[in-house]
Amino acid sequence: MQIIETSRRKFLQSSVALCVYATSSFAKIPSITTKTSSNKQIKTIPYLCNMCRNKCAGFARIENNTITKLDPNHYFPKSKNMLCPKGNAGINAIYDKDRLKYPLIRIGNRGDGKYKRVTWDEANEYIKNKLVKILDKQKDNRSTIAYCNGEGFNKDEFIQFCKGKIGSNNFLDEGSICLNTKLGAEVLTLGDTTEPNLAGSDYIIISGANRYESLITPDSLDLLHNQNKKLVVLDPRATITALKADQFLPINPGTDLAFCLSMIFIAIKEELYNKKFVQEYFKDFDILKKEILQENYTAKWAESKTNIPAHKIEQITREFFSSSNPLYYLGRRSVWAKNDFQLRRSMVLINALAGSINRKGGLIFGKPFKIPKEEITEPFYNNTQDRFDLDGIVYGSKKGGSWLNFREQVINQTSPYPIKAMFIRKHNLMQNMPNINKTKKMLDMMDLVVVLDTMPSDTALMADVILPECTYLEREDLVVSFNRLEPSLALRNKVIEPLYESKSMQDILKGLGEKLSIPLFNISKKYDEELQDSIEELGEKKAFISGGYDLAELYKKNITTRNKELIIKNFGLKVYKNLKEKGVWYPYITEQKEIFNNYYTYYPENKKYYTIDKKFKVNCYLKKLSKNGFDGVPKWRDEYDFKVSKDSFRLITGRYVFSTQTATANNIMLKDIQKENHLWINRNEAKKLGIKEGDLVEVKSKISTIQIKAYPTNKIHPQVVWFAHGFGMQSKELSNAYNIGASDNMIIEDHFEKIYGCATMHHTNIIIRKI
Amino acid sequence: MANYGMAFDYKLCINCKACEVACKEENGIDLGASNHRLWISERFDNTQDFFELKQINFIQNQCQQCQDAPCIKACPNDAIYKDDNGIVRLYKDKCDLSLHCMSACPYDARYIDNKNKITDKCIFCADTRLSRGETTTACAITCPSKLRIFGDLDDPNSDISLTLKKRKYFQLKSNLNTKPKLFYLN
Repeated sequence: MQIIETSRRKFLQSSVALCVYATSSFAKIPSITTKTSSNKQIKTIPYLCNMCRNKCAGFARIENNTITKLDPNHYFPKSKNMLCPKGNAGINAIYDKDRLKYPLIRIGNRGDGKYKRVTWDEANEYIKNKLVKILDKQKDNRSTIAYCNGEGFNKDEFIQFCKGKIGSNNFLDEGSICLNTKLGAEVLTLGDTTEPNLAGSDYIIISGANRYESLITPDSLDLLHNQNKKLVVLDPRATITALKADQFLPINPGTDLAFCLSMIFIAIKEELYNKKFVQEYFKDFDILKKEILQENYTAKWAESKTNIPAHKIEQITREFFSSSNPLYYLGRRSVWAKNDFQLRRSMVLINALAGSINRKGGLIFGKPFKIPKEEITEPFYNNTQDRFDLDGIVYGSKKGGSWLNFREQVINQTSPYPIKAMFIRKHNLMQNMPNINKTKKMLDMMDLVVVLDTMPSDTALMADVILPECTYLEREDLVVSFNRLEPSLALRNKVIEPLYESKSMQDILKGLGEKLSIPLFNISKKYDEELQDSIEELGEKKAFISGGYDLAELYKKNITTRNKELIIKNFGLKVYKNLKEKGVWYPYITEQKEIFNNYYTYYPENKKYYTIDKKFKVNCYLKKLSKNGFDGVPKWRDEYDFKVSKDSFRLITGRYVFSTQTATANNIMLKDIQKENHLWINRNEAKKLGIKEGDLVEVKSKISTIQIKAYPTNKIHPQVVWFAHGFGMQSKELSNAYNIGASDNMIIEDHFEKIYGCATMHHTNIIIRKI
Repeated sequence: MANYGMAFDYKLCINCKACEVACKEENGIDLGASNHRLWISERFDNTQDFFELKQINFIQNQCQQCQDAPCIKACPNDAIYKDDNGIVRLYKDKCDLSLHCMSACPYDARYIDNKNKITDKCIFCADTRLSRGETTTACAITCPSKLRIFGDLDDPNSDISLTLKKRKYFQLKSNLNTKPKLFYLN
């Protein structure tokens, strides 16, 4: 017999309780949940989740026009018949009483939350008047309007509107505060991005990722369901992923690169690598070999950097290279240290040395479905200037740029022209990047800030005009292609009509486009000589139409019609019907089988795209990097060494499994699981400082100070502290989140690496004082 | 007519709490730390130093659907009964919150449902999902690990029967002879 404590009372009082359960402050709240009925005739509608970046598939149950339950959709190869806690709590995002309900125009100071309710037309009129003034003053340089959109559906369409139609080159997205170094490392090393095949691997190393608390589909599910793997996890914190691993290697923050370099060194020195693969696919292997051997990255050397015992590094390297399908997992949200690009590149090289590219269990190219873009005419604005945020950055994303470099140039007024307006959609700028005070300063410099969002976030309260977008369950979105190994199409169907006066992005842009088209055309007419010539030649009306100046061109048809035409034209009527009925389509959908206990197989094994016919090379040496003073072959530099002074700690960040950055900050169901975040500190260190569980502590970095409750634990490195991102919101309109817990970006220093211009989140040392 | 039980491949649990949220949404459970039909507890050796930590496991807690249920015997109002599917249920109108069932339960499965003025606990979604002919519980279907194996113990071909034949398992507080119908797979 095994003795297991089952008491809920004891559990709730245990040390974990502080960090897991909300206190009684929610006791007053009336019932938030609605029990589902026993009615068998109730309709369910297939939808795609939007509570995080994954877009898992589900069915929504509607009773009396109210969504009473969200259930997983077993047809989707990506999310494999599951919904996570956030997916389940999606109902509370729709029925959040704090939602943005009406268009609003600011009447107070930025940030203080004083707005007046206006009609959609009044909001659009206000935006028009401001934009006309700004563009007139900037002589039709459209790039004076910056715009941004975080991860999600409709992002490309928002770009199509703001860049394609309005003409600004200054688009920013989450890439430079997320994963651009990883994408870049893949593209520059292999010529393409890839998908990791965790389901097919027998030996997986994860560093810098926490796949059991930051769920990614299908990666997390493949990891959970793969019973034939050995899992090795490197982390400065004992995450659930680490504590579920076969081998957990505590590591100094930011030193994973040293571990990887040593793996490469050992593989080359002991000739463990896949010689056939190297001979066939590697370019400049001799340079890699020479430089790595020259640097002498022995396990002993790596031990001095990482604090992982040398014999373990050797053991893991040998096990990895002797496995049949090893995988070094590249992670997703990745930019932790300033060496991050080199780290991700080393990971790609390790996979390549093992031959784990374009094969089962490795990094696969696969064969995603291609959905052609709908064609519209985009005007050419002669006076529009280029983006400036990639100046001084070696590669950088031409699409999403570099947030920190952009912000720095705007607030220091070093940009070649001023940024006067910002259009912000689904992007919580005030909380999503290091050094919040600088973001505030940037937004304060704008003549016009427009925010499209569902919630009154910290960023929304910096807006002059707030345009309430409807949530994901209140709209249809354009069909999307997912994944490479088992590719599928998925469609977000509308479950209920938009609540209040909220609108879909398409409807918002339609209204805005109709309002702005002619006034903005008139600005171009005044300053753009080529347009003047065109008008002379064609007449004003023709020049307007043929030049593509009708900003609402894409919105002549509604989204349902657009989807229908696009899908039927490219994939046929059967596929369209499937998407409407099941939310998902892939070629073998009628043949999918339940293996066991509601878990399915999707593509037949011999139809999965493990290996495709594709020409590619593994680039060992990047000349452009060398030329710019960086390492063409990944190397260690002294500046990467992990250093904290005696009295300070390194601050690292991350998140809980039941929160998505700041997007779920106000979700009452998720708040019920965990009300606030806590500072994880090694319990021996806490003892030295006299800090006990629940004590309020002051955490001070070079840029600012926050207060947070402490959680002494044995689950963290003695020189490291951690607290979750997504708390400490400053918007008073978020009644479940305002001032609860602390915000990491208040104190994280705003450094960025210069290869992709990405914010490096783990370079802040802090000191702690008990209050 | 079935004899429902649940087996847990408990080592696959990552404590994501999808089950907790799904249960609350499906069954209209009030928010609040004490209002839970199911909850997850941690098995972890907390004495170790950071560099020596061992694996963590989580245990899924809820009504154990005892074949010999102490709560049934304890209730002075005969409010607790077993339904046709072998699930321990409650006649809501007979419950007067005497709380004898709560003190009798060795698993702490019950809590006070203030909204309905009853003691509530897991009933395998009997009056929601099962009542409309579905064959899964809210917690089982949503679980990313699919570690909750729910089904008919009397059907030899059900996933749960096949699993219990094949795998070793233990039950909670088996020394009390309550004969739970929940099984934890080793």
